[in-house]
Amino acid sequence: MLETGLIVGHHDEPLYWHVPNDRTVVSLPDSETLWGKLWAHFKYGSLKGFAHSHPGSGIPSPSHTDVTTFAAIETGLGVPLDWWITSQDHVVLLRRVPPGSHNTPGFQHAYFSTVIEAPPWTEKLRRLSEPNEEI
Amino acid sequence: MNDNEAKVNVTFSGANGDLLEPVPFSATDAEIKSWVTEAVTNGSVPGIPATSTADFSDFVIDRFAATEIRPNLLILRPKTPFGQVFEIIR
Repeated sequence: MLETGLIVGHHDEPLYWHVPNDRTVVSLPDSETLWGKLWAHFKYGSLKGFAHSHPGSGIPSPSHTDVTTFAAIETGLGVPLDWWITSQDHVVLLRRVPPGSHNTPGFQHAYFSTVIEAPPWTEKLRRLSEPNEEI
Repeated sequence: MNDNEAKVNVTFSGANGDLLEPVPFSATDAEIKSWVTEAVTNGSVPGIPATSTADFSDFVIDRFAATEIRPNLLILRPKTPFGQVFEIIR
């Protein structure tokens, strides 16, 4: 399994499959290309959010890297996005908690996580997360 | 602009702009973030509204050496890694 990403449009359509050569089983490295695609789709008005896959099964949860990246991208774009994480058998949707609505010490960035039914692009995201699979 | 200087481009809050003055191309990431934070805070980046709470701690800097058609360029953008990337938390 290799972590894989997807930029998702407002109609839940796939906009860009993120399958960099340097991805690993547990990480998608920083990517200037991905930022360029996110910015372009934001400027087109087509950007809803970003999905990425995690290894294994069960309800996935975001890493510290995930959450700080969510927040950095939203800061750059000036808008909140939808963030999905898939495992082999679950999908969660994360959205930022509005500023001022939480006061947990030590948490700069807080996101609600909800288990949802698999969006239509889920099967392909899981397939592309397998080694040697191509778009 | 001198050969050892660079233009700084910033993306913040859905807007994009350049610092008014060039900076040393060899400046550290921390120095660049500090100058950009000050500029965005006081509203001196054309195209980017003044924001007193501007925070670039989770942004990264892409460095592009000069070409025949473009001077040295530094781009400050949000980071984009996901997963278990090892980070030093200070």
